[in-house]
Amino acid sequence: MTVTTPEAVDEAPAPFPASPDAHLTDPATRATLRVQSRMLAATRAFLTAHGFQELLPPLIGPVTDPGIRGSKQVDVDFYGHKYKLMTSAILYKQASLLAFDKIFYIAPNVRLEPVETAVTHRHLAEFHQIDVEIRDASREDAMLLAEQLLTHVVTDVLASMPAELDVLGRDTETLRRAAGDAFGRVGHAEATAGLIAAGHPQDPAAEIDWQGEEIVSARAERPFFVTDYPKGSRGFYDKENPQQPGVLRNFDLIAPEGYGELASGSEREHDYATLVTRMRETGENPAKYGWYLDLARRGIPASSGFGIGLERFTRYVTGRQAAWQASAYPKLPGVVSA
Amino acid sequence: MNTALVAHGFPEEQVRARARHGAAAVFPAQSGYGSGLLGAGACTPDADDELERIRIVPPVFMPERLKKLIDLGREPLYSDVDLETVIGGFTSRMPLYVSAFGSTQVASHDLGEAAGRQAAQLGVPLVIGENVVPVNGYRSADDAGVSPLLGRIAAYAEAAGAEYGGVAVQQSTEDADAEVWNLIYSDPVSEPLLATGRLAFELKVGQGAKPGLGGLTVLDRDTAGRVAEQYATDEVFGADSDRVLRVSSPGTFTEEILRQQVRLMRNNFPRVKVWVKLHPGRDVAEAAATAWAAGADAVTVDGAEGGTAWAPTGFLSHVGLPLADCLRRVGRKDSCLLASGRMWEGTRAVKALALGARAVGLGRAALLAVDEDREAGLRRLAEAFALEVRMLTSAVGKYHVNALDPQDLLFPAAWRMPSAASGAA
Repeated sequence: MTVTTPEAVDEAPAPFPASPDAHLTDPATRATLRVQSRMLAATRAFLTAHGFQELLPPLIGPVTDPGIRGSKQVDVDFYGHKYKLMTSAILYKQASLLAFDKIFYIAPNVRLEPVETAVTHRHLAEFHQIDVEIRDASREDAMLLAEQLLTHVVTDVLASMPAELDVLGRDTETLRRAAGDAFGRVGHAEATAGLIAAGHPQDPAAEIDWQGEEIVSARAERPFFVTDYPKGSRGFYDKENPQQPGVLRNFDLIAPEGYGELASGSEREHDYATLVTRMRETGENPAKYGWYLDLARRGIPASSGFGIGLERFTRYVTGRQAAWQASAYPKLPGVVSA
Repeated sequence: MNTALVAHGFPEEQVRARARHGAAAVFPAQSGYGSGLLGAGACTPDADDELERIRIVPPVFMPERLKKLIDLGREPLYSDVDLETVIGGFTSRMPLYVSAFGSTQVASHDLGEAAGRQAAQLGVPLVIGENVVPVNGYRSADDAGVSPLLGRIAAYAEAAGAEYGGVAVQQSTEDADAEVWNLIYSDPVSEPLLATGRLAFELKVGQGAKPGLGGLTVLDRDTAGRVAEQYATDEVFGADSDRVLRVSSPGTFTEEILRQQVRLMRNNFPRVKVWVKLHPGRDVAEAAATAWAAGADAVTVDGAEGGTAWAPTGFLSHVGLPLADCLRRVGRKDSCLLASGRMWEGTRAVKALALGARAVGLGRAALLAVDEDREAGLRRLAEAFALEVRMLTSAVGKYHVNALDPQDLLFPAAWRMPSAASGAA
């Protein structure tokens, strides 16, 4: 039986299944996937009730989200043109607001992460996101929605899936406390300073690294937001704060108990000239973003949004040791499997 | 063994001689020993090259030599000079690295791999050029999984010892389409270098031979058609020619774009060192300072004397700052500055090191040496280089190559050291 305390992360890692049937017939897998199914239903119910339109996510396109640390994109030969599998649908999320003011996807993503991430318990090469985008919304609007959505889903699962949580040995009291109140907020600079003070070598100009994220997560008792990441740590579409140059209007949502990052979001950049400049700052060749930049020239709506990693969210709710346990056919970086 | 590689305006014969004879080629021909009388004037420096006109001037009194004498308990010799240094986060056996060759035909496949193997055996860093992926392909199915880029990394990793050297992989604007760095970072071939801290990514801002221009290569029409989505072409050879000029964009940089690109490299690839290569622009000092402040482990300045496979002849003679002027503007700093541009022997290198460079890059010289002898040409050239640098360093009374400074040089009358040099490390 999988242990659900944060210390589980330090224990011997659960062995990756030798075969699909060993994994699929494991009672823990079945309980986890049932909870995941319920989480999806609760997500759809919540967002639909709040006026969101669900769209089917695009799988391939001439370009995809570059704002990902060190992971490789997958090329698709599209009639002689090089297309990409989606690493995230961010560009399409912004474009979709031309049709609807509030949209969401349950979107599959493929990111060939560096092989060393196979042991973080959080990285999957194939995963899904609950991808939300809201026209004319501020970062704070998006954060509030993420908080309400997470609270709704956790509350729903606690009420409707006690048997599964029991099979999984989830500490439901800790989970219940998570959904009780508003989430805390800490700026990236403060979080970084705290890590450095605690003896963890963290570059203040960079994304909080995987170990650092686990440390801040393990210390927390409830989910919380880290805001204001520095420019240079995220993609070109995270809007820079006009009042604080060099600081982005973005956030991560971190789960407590050592489970780490669940979601990333931001207020989006949508101004054409700023997008081109930011693309250069992130080392991108604007020419390959043709369709997106043409659209931006004609006008993309202002927006904020976020993506919640579904397998990570499921891992947190079910208290599993690793995100791959929340997938029926897990793809770990560098590991050949079903 | 050579492939008729030619390098006009470059001391090709001397480089090839060193590639054949190694350290012996540092001296006049042995046949003249005992009968020839030598003196200045045998090799007249190029009057247009400021670095060549600088002289290395040993003192009479040498307190550093006394320290070394006390340390050793015997009179020191040139062989006591320590050449080991840190180049952009890599430990190198000498202040030397092999510059990028790029995607041009002269640097393809076996020459590139042979250069990499010999650099690895020498324990000095190797830079792998831009555009290697979009032009040559990363892993093409008909190539049994061997790409030039991975082949070069693998050749280096196999030939290297456990401690010295390292590989820096360039990416420029077009390479961003192919996401070279993401590919390399997650490929198992890179792991031996990553695990020992010997992989760097080099952001190519520009190059010495064509400052302000992007890469230019001549392609046949078939090949040009294959890369048409990534590169512009120009019919400079006429519409009926079977060849076209492939034109890369130089990429747009501002201070903020350079700063953020360096920071993004550090954020996205925490296990690699970050190098930045600058063309000899008139604001090279500001650009170098920006890159270092953003966290670059090394900044390379490629002087206008730098070699290239293809560039408009006007650019070769008239555009960009000479290396000497770059070094003067940047000044001596605590950060790692690398210098390239017509490097092949010890005196020019020692002058660049005394002016503030941590190491010098061999471009054309490395290619010619490998072309002369695939197995040992570059090793012999480096052997000759090491002997000269040791002799010159000991001649100014110093025993670590990092101790060279502008006092060891005599400048032409018109030379003015900027105020930045007063803070010399």
